[in-house]
Amino acid sequence: MLLFRSEQHIERWCRQWNRPRGGTFSLAQGWKLAQLWYGDRLDPQWRPKSAPEAESVFREVGLVGEFWELGK
Amino acid sequence: MSDKLSFDAQLRLFVYRHMLRHEKSPTVAQMATSLGASSKKVLASLARLSGSHAFMQQESGELWRAAPFSCIPTPFPVRVGGKSWFGNCIWDALGIPAMLGKDARIGASCGCCNYDMSMEIKGGKLRSGAGLIHIAVPAREWYKDVAFT
Repeated sequence: MLLFRSEQHIERWCRQWNRPRGGTFSLAQGWKLAQLWYGDRLDPQWRPKSAPEAESVFREVGLVGEFWELGK
Repeated sequence: MSDKLSFDAQLRLFVYRHMLRHEKSPTVAQMATSLGASSKKVLASLARLSGSHAFMQQESGELWRAAPFSCIPTPFPVRVGGKSWFGNCIWDALGIPAMLGKDARIGASCGCCNYDMSMEIKGGKLRSGAGLIHIAVPAREWYKDVAFT
């Protein structure tokens, strides 16, 4: 998971490393995702998110589609 | 630390508290000494905690990831007040101020050209920094090769 200046730089990176285009989201979405994902990590009762819980977080951030599905 | 917590929960919290206090992860020996447990018990607990991938171990058994913290240096340094840590990736780097609820300065650069893309979190908001986050691997495959992801 890397940060890029622009779509053009993502495309260049994918060509350089012979990787298919993956999922892309804005830095602002990344900040929201980080808050939802890690905001409770110091809670003594913390437990890992289930796949449906994780997918719910992705949806809340606007990350939808097959790429963001975790499966059963 | 509450004695109602399981050993795994106590160890998890100990790791985070140590990381926050000392800016580095504790060794297995330090965990064992501090929790009054054997290294074998600590290693077994770390293996269970690694099942969710929130923690991950090196081949030696020592930690290399206590998400969002990296236990080894990465290109994602995070400075909060007078302390600094490393995130495993840009998501985790953002996760450190999110976890702490504090302002932070995050060092980052373009994955393509290394252009400086440092950013600041202030008052719970992303105050500077623009860019796009790209993840090459579909979510269901993230943990097949975490280092690449």
